[in-house]
Amino acid sequence: MTAVAAQFIDPYRDRFATFLAQRHDPDVFIQRRRAAFARFEQLGLPTRQQEAWRLTDLSAPQAIAWHAPSAAPVDAGILPTLDMPTQRLVFVNGRFAPALSRLGELPGQTLVASLGQALRTHPERIEPWLDHVPGLDQHPFAALNGAFWEDGAFIHLPRGTTLDTPIHLVFHASGGDMHLQPRLLLVLEDGAQASVVVEYRGTDRYLDTPLADIELGAGATLHYHQVQEEAPQAFHLGGLRLRQQRDSTAHLHLLGFGSQLARCDLETVLDGTGAHCTLNGLILGRDRQFSAVHVRVNHAQPHGSSEQLFKGVLDSQARAVFDGMIHVSRHAQKTDARQLSRNLLLSRQAQAQANPRLEILADDVKCSHGSSTGFLDPDAEFYLRARGIPAAEARMLLIHAFANDSLDRIQLAPLRERLAGVLAARLALDLIEG
Amino acid sequence: MLEIRNLHVTVEGREILKGIDLSIRPGETHAIMGPNGSGKSTLANVIAGREGYTVTQGEILFDGKNLLDMPAETRACEGLFLAFQYPVEIPGVANLYFLKAAVNAVRKYRGEPAVDAMDFWELVQERMALVKMDESMLKRSVNEGFSGGEKKRNEVFQMAVLQPRFAVLDETDSGLDIDALKVVADGVNALRNPERGFLVITHYQRLLDYIVPDHVHVLVNGKIAHSGGKELALELEEQGYALYNEEPGRARRAAA
Ligand SMILES: Nc1ncnc2c1ncn2[C@@H]1O[C@H](COP(=O)(O)OP(=O)(O)O)[C@@H](O)[C@H]1O
Ligand SMILES: [Mg+2]
Repeated sequence: MTAVAAQFIDPYRDRFATFLAQRHDPDVFIQRRRAAFARFEQLGLPTRQQEAWRLTDLSAPQAIAWHAPSAAPVDAGILPTLDMPTQRLVFVNGRFAPALSRLGELPGQTLVASLGQALRTHPERIEPWLDHVPGLDQHPFAALNGAFWEDGAFIHLPRGTTLDTPIHLVFHASGGDMHLQPRLLLVLEDGAQASVVVEYRGTDRYLDTPLADIELGAGATLHYHQVQEEAPQAFHLGGLRLRQQRDSTAHLHLLGFGSQLARCDLETVLDGTGAHCTLNGLILGRDRQFSAVHVRVNHAQPHGSSEQLFKGVLDSQARAVFDGMIHVSRHAQKTDARQLSRNLLLSRQAQAQANPRLEILADDVKCSHGSSTGFLDPDAEFYLRARGIPAAEARMLLIHAFANDSLDRIQLAPLRERLAGVLAARLALDLIEG
Repeated sequence: MLEIRNLHVTVEGREILKGIDLSIRPGETHAIMGPNGSGKSTLANVIAGREGYTVTQGEILFDGKNLLDMPAETRACEGLFLAFQYPVEIPGVANLYFLKAAVNAVRKYRGEPAVDAMDFWELVQERMALVKMDESMLKRSVNEGFSGGEKKRNEVFQMAVLQPRFAVLDETDSGLDIDALKVVADGVNALRNPERGFLVITHYQRLLDYIVPDHVHVLVNGKIAHSGGKELALELEEQGYALYNEEPGRARRAAA
């Protein structure tokens, strides 16, 4: 282990025993935390010799002495809202903030709660699911989160439950070199339906390594929206794993606008016949931002379909990496899997790398993948200008058209409109500065 | 209204236009005919202000103003329009949105307020009828997935909405069947008036049966080899461009 890695890991090792002693978790969860920490120690910090981390340079966050989270006041006015009724849970520095949250009536046995609180009040409902979604075995920050998570959200929809109002989860960080490790457990049992918006944001410098576990029962439908709008100095290394049963549908929207270094590792397994999954990603990068998306879609059963579209708009010296693997197992006949990565570069110094991969062990499948990276189409720009539209406006229109296609896929209108506003403001700013 | 004087243009170091003189007055429609590769689109693009062309000699004046000093968008705002030979597809930008942005850009340039939504919609409806365009094309992305005919119709539609003072039509007839050709010609003819000028570029005489020009010019190898009245188009139809091939002097004699 390198000295820098040791410098990063040692404080967690020192802290872990005290941390466990202060938790009052049921034994089974303490055991899981120990197992997770053992795995973290075994994995160590990723190095760039590892293929999955070759393009992610962690030297900056590794060199910082991160602190355990502590409470801080936050002005409710800076927290994002959706212009519609929601079930709203706010977390400040990883901890549930009841005063900033608002929960309405929920049907039957549905639970939308702080995971930390639910662990005390409903451990039996958490126990079968937490740490049981497969995936991200090699991800050290997922392991570390498994050891150290303190709070987060627990959403449990029993069989056949439909939530009419979306669930809005806001994770706000207040800087102070804190390391936040929020956890999300989302369980939709057979036939349940929900729409969830998760926002990661904050001020100043911090390290955010959230982990989300999602289980979809047979015929369940989930619309999941993740908006990573972390502070410009922040580091975000998030993990997301998902298991889908027969005929379930997952629509995942991953929007990344913030952080100096952002990475999202997503692993999903279509574990039942006829499961369907769409992944819609949009990254806006500027300055020296680095954003990476590493996706692994596992088709384990027949008749599944998955559709991935990942887009990046990169200005100044921003860089983006898309690493996508579609794995189709021997049993997964009649799989239809598509993957597309498209990047628009707004400056000569911006860079995008795409690494689409297929591993297909079944013989009767439809799979496609592709990637493209390019600058704005000068012919299109001229066409607009030839109709009287000034050059800057023409470019803005074209960039907007490229990115808006991703936002258009979001059905939740208030969120879509807010993000369109973020996009417009961002483009206007880039063009003024650019 | 449009004065082209001794225009020499190179593309990637190769001279494509070799001294063009052309004078078009308000109310006139001029036709330029010529074989493929003779420089017709180059002329159209230089007038519209496309990058990648170097004017080595000569000038273009539009109502006395030096056109070559203006960026493309200023030319459009001054009332110039180019119907593209190959209209560009712009995914994600709805046709109607694009058109409104164009109308408002021109209005802003003139110091006028943005167009009233109702007025704009009425104008769009009326002009759509003129070129027999289907309303569904307004919602679709600009030219995306349009057939060749739909693209050309969309160019004429844009022209009809923007109402330029001077329009260059670059082979707006190519690839059209006779019905579509008539629709395009009707659209152009409806806009002809004593203030407006047109430069109609075509490879075939056929279009000029419907858009009857005041003057016809034959462009061969970067030069105007011959100019005449509308009957010149018919002569060309019978005799072809072979007469003009590489030797303008001989060609002129032959045509006379
Ligand atoms: N952008 C360009 N780059 C390179 N060559 C060009 C370009 N535009 C035109 N040319 C060349 O200039 C000549 C005239 O082309 P063009 O003006 O398109 O002719 P026309 O429209 O009469 O068919 C051709 O030889 C063509 O290859
Ligand atoms: Mg041409």
